[in-house]
Amino acid sequence: MKALEVINLKKNYINPKDQNQNVQALKGLNFDIHAGEIFGFLGPNGAGKTTLISTITTLEKPTEGDVKVFGESVLHNPLKTKRSVGVVHQEVINTGFFDINEILEFQSGYYGILNNQDRIHFLMDRLALLPHKYKKVKQLSGGMKRRLMIAKALVHNPRLLLLDEPTAGVDVELRESLWRFVQELQAEGTSVLLTTHYLEEAESLCQRIAIINKGELHFLGTPNDVIKKYSTKKIRIKFNNGDIKELICSAHEALNQILKTNNIDITSVFDIQMFEGKLEEAFTKVVNQQ
Amino acid sequence: MNPWIPFLTLIHREIKRFIKVIIQTVVSPIISSSLYLLIFGVSLGAKMNPQNEMPYIAFLIPGLMVMGLINNSFQNSSSSVVNAKFSGDLEDLRVAPITNNQIIWAMGVGGIIRGATVAIITGLVGFIFQYLTTSTVMTIHHPFLFLLFLILGGLIFSFCGIFVAFLAKTFDQLSAFSTFILLPLTYLGGVFMSIEGLHPFWQKMCHLNPVFYLINGFRYSVVGVTDIEIWPILLVNCGALVVSFFMAKYSLTRGSFSRW
Repeated sequence: MKALEVINLKKNYINPKDQNQNVQALKGLNFDIHAGEIFGFLGPNGAGKTTLISTITTLEKPTEGDVKVFGESVLHNPLKTKRSVGVVHQEVINTGFFDINEILEFQSGYYGILNNQDRIHFLMDRLALLPHKYKKVKQLSGGMKRRLMIAKALVHNPRLLLLDEPTAGVDVELRESLWRFVQELQAEGTSVLLTTHYLEEAESLCQRIAIINKGELHFLGTPNDVIKKYSTKKIRIKFNNGDIKELICSAHEALNQILKTNNIDITSVFDIQMFEGKLEEAFTKVVNQQ
Repeated sequence: MNPWIPFLTLIHREIKRFIKVIIQTVVSPIISSSLYLLIFGVSLGAKMNPQNEMPYIAFLIPGLMVMGLINNSFQNSSSSVVNAKFSGDLEDLRVAPITNNQIIWAMGVGGIIRGATVAIITGLVGFIFQYLTTSTVMTIHHPFLFLLFLILGGLIFSFCGIFVAFLAKTFDQLSAFSTFILLPLTYLGGVFMSIEGLHPFWQKMCHLNPVFYLINGFRYSVVGVTDIEIWPILLVNCGALVVSFFMAKYSLTRGSFSRW
């Protein structure tokens, strides 16, 4: 079962600053997310990541194409798809009148759930919000506001969670606890679409990633695939006589091949240190090569 | 999923929202209406000719009640939308499995409750003033019509509030509607006077004002007098309800859900 299918998705806007200019935010995207997968959707600012999330959540209507959530079209059956989706928006929502408990109760009601206190209590406990249960949003710190956004997204136990840069401006401790929680959700069967600028997070969390730029998909595969294809690794060789040599080579080249190419006799080698390529380097290459 | 749960949740939220700021949403308009009653009804009204053969204060009370109903039902829905635009709450509603009809009717019900609360308390204050100044006790002449006009007026102006707030891009645009359209229509619709004494031209102009029909219908239900027949009143108000509903629906489809 596919959690999400993005089918030839196009979105055009009219530039608000120039009514004659048509901006193509998404140029025919095609990819899918498997059920129970954490999928990273990466791209520089303005690449079209938030537009995709807005389309999945029906905040935006596509110009062409469709998005299916667990087989249901967001265009033809939005009420059904919305029930399966939880979304953490990029911008923090500052509901002014209500405390956290009330906000989560209302959010449950929007999804047709009455008497959801057990789930609300679990989420507040898990996200360290319980001591702040009766505080209003404006009384919370930035990190707590983010946690509230996550609790809101999860209050109806969605099968697909959309995280639009959920850790932007969040401290390391919260980021780590959030990712642990996301992994727990995945273990329970929740599928996750994650957009983030922290590429090391995507590298360690995501089973697959897509890299887009200017509305076009440039790479789809595992983080290892993109690293192997687009990044380099650095090899530091220390010889028996004390000399040191540094080599830079493609990430997918085997060590014996590298030694052979560089006419290095293995018996003369005292130590070898390898520095593997990172997703960040591969990402930069993918984005810049266009 | 039971579709009534999101709908009732929205109504609950609307009511809880205005109760949280009850001084601003209920107490303040009641004080304004009480001052109008004191100045126009009790003080100046004693020197004024009776309207439709009744003490001026008895004529004024339903006018002030309906003015409270109009202003507060309009403000309830419009401020709900505007606050949600500021906070980003509208995105929550948009991504939840809630239909536009549920949003519109829930805000309508919220508007009725706030508007009717202000109208009824204004009426109670008015009845006390009337008893103190004229020693007469007012009764509701047509309780069914009274309830009907409370609901119709509350819904019509709640829907108008949704329409204006969704399409408005700034606070200025929202307040311009209140100042330049809603306020003149209400004041010139017969809150303070009967159109009988007006020049025939202005009488005809009053008939073009939809608020005039609501005020007269409401006054008829309370004190049993009206400037026009009840059937055109009912017809115009039902028409206004349908038009305002579709205006609200249009605004939700075409208006902006993005933050201010």
